[in-house]
Amino acid sequence: MSADHLISVKDLKKHYNGGAIKALDGVSIDIDKGEVVVIIGPSGSGKSTLLRSLNLLETPTSGNIYFEGEDITSKNIDINKFRQKMGMVFQHFNLFPHLTILKNMTLAPRKLKHESKEEAEAFARELLKKVALQDRADAYPSQLSGGQKQRIAIVRALAMKPDVLLFDEPTSALDPEMVGEVLDVMKDLAKEGMTMVVVTHEMGFAREVGDRIIFMDEGKIVVEGTPEEIFGQTDNDRLKTFLAKVL
Amino acid sequence: MYLYELSIRDWWEDLKATFILNFIADDRYMLLVKGLGNTFLVTLGATILGILLGVIVALVRSTYDKNITDMQPGFGKGVLITLNKIASAYLTVIRGTPMLVQLMIAYFVIFVSISQHKTIVAIIAFGINSGAYVAEIIRSGIMSIDPGQFEAGRSLGFNYAQTMLYIIIPQALKNVLPALANEFIVLIKETSVSCYIGLHDLTKGGEIIRSRTYTAFMPLLAVAIIYLVIVMFFTKLVGILERRLRNSER
Ligand SMILES: Nc1ncnc2c1ncn2[C@@H]1O[C@H](COP(=O)(O)OP(=O)(O)O)[C@@H](O)[C@H]1O
Ligand SMILES: [Mg+2]
Repeated sequence: MSADHLISVKDLKKHYNGGAIKALDGVSIDIDKGEVVVIIGPSGSGKSTLLRSLNLLETPTSGNIYFEGEDITSKNIDINKFRQKMGMVFQHFNLFPHLTILKNMTLAPRKLKHESKEEAEAFARELLKKVALQDRADAYPSQLSGGQKQRIAIVRALAMKPDVLLFDEPTSALDPEMVGEVLDVMKDLAKEGMTMVVVTHEMGFAREVGDRIIFMDEGKIVVEGTPEEIFGQTDNDRLKTFLAKVL
Repeated sequence: MYLYELSIRDWWEDLKATFILNFIADDRYMLLVKGLGNTFLVTLGATILGILLGVIVALVRSTYDKNITDMQPGFGKGVLITLNKIASAYLTVIRGTPMLVQLMIAYFVIFVSISQHKTIVAIIAFGINSGAYVAEIIRSGIMSIDPGQFEAGRSLGFNYAQTMLYIIIPQALKNVLPALANEFIVLIKETSVSCYIGLHDLTKGGEIIRSRTYTAFMPLLAVAIIYLVIVMFFTKLVGILERRLRNSER
């Protein structure tokens, strides 16, 4: 079932403290191959929880998530196999500080996909060229700027050749002058047809790159639509209030 | 004036004679050399055993802390709870009783059958003792790693054990390397209580000389100086190590 969608989320709930906190309160959403879905909403609305549920970094309280037709919330599934196809980019980069850039990128392909050193490094260098960091292959993460770190984090995820990339506020921890270089990489990926789910406060990016925008509040999807529908005349008060604050 | 010079000369001659009596005659210095060798042997063996035990116990404890709330009831959870209980009991008992008592229990009660191999008994006793302290050092190292590192590992598709092995443990060990080296230094001094089971370590070497020459000052001073020099040497090394690590700090 749901094989026609890349990801299909059915009535997902995530409760904390025995239901006192409903981080996700019945969320359903379909994501198709090649789509760029942007999730917006006030802080604490459940955006991160939704995104992190997609690769089961958070275990849902109830509901189902189908990835390429398979229910990854079912008990007898090897989630590690699925995570290899779902790259994730974090707000704070989370590069491995004890490894060089090249090793950061080749660790997972070599250990998990058993690629040869040559094979993994060749592809990593190709990716580095794409983000104009080919000369930093042997540097350590600490020697890079924030923008460079995030670009490396993106290509580290890409090194696994994932079917979808999940971004959780990828530019929120960056100095303003570095936001552009990261967004540019993401735009290029979108153009190449990469499926992306992006939590962000960058409304310009959402409007320009998003195929679909999801506005969340209090653990629910409140409005869902094209950038025109979201940023045009909306009759939803909560969305209006939110946009008035961030635009 | 004349008298004074004479008494200094006497004192010097006296010193020389005591020195020769304690260290040169009958090659008594060899008692210290042999003792020093055993001190190093026990310390090194105990350190290795301690780190082995420490890593295992630290892994059990931090795996328990990280996962127990999210685990489904079942066999795996039962095993983890049991292992964690054993690890906690080990830490409580070892850290709650004096080293000397542990050593004597090891020697006179548990390992009576191999009591002629004093070095081995000492290595086991000090290793088990050190493991309890090393475990907490390594555990704090694991806990000090940003949870984002763990999530990044898992998000790439690594399972729990792989994430620990490739990402968490290397960083944790690097962070606690100076603390582990300090544990080694502490152990050098601590092993001196093994003369209670008659092990010929450095302290016992001094003791043997004292019992033969009936002079306490010189052999004990020599023992103290040797410990001090060794400890100062390794402390210096740890300092260099720490600086190196900090410079490579990212
Ligand atoms: N581990 C947790 N324990 C308790 N509450 C949590 C936990 N994680 C998230 N929450 C709560 O869930 C809600 C949604 O959080 P989150 O998904 O991080 O929001 P957002 O990313 O939109 O800012 C918030 O109210 C947050 O406080
Ligand atoms: Mg968030």
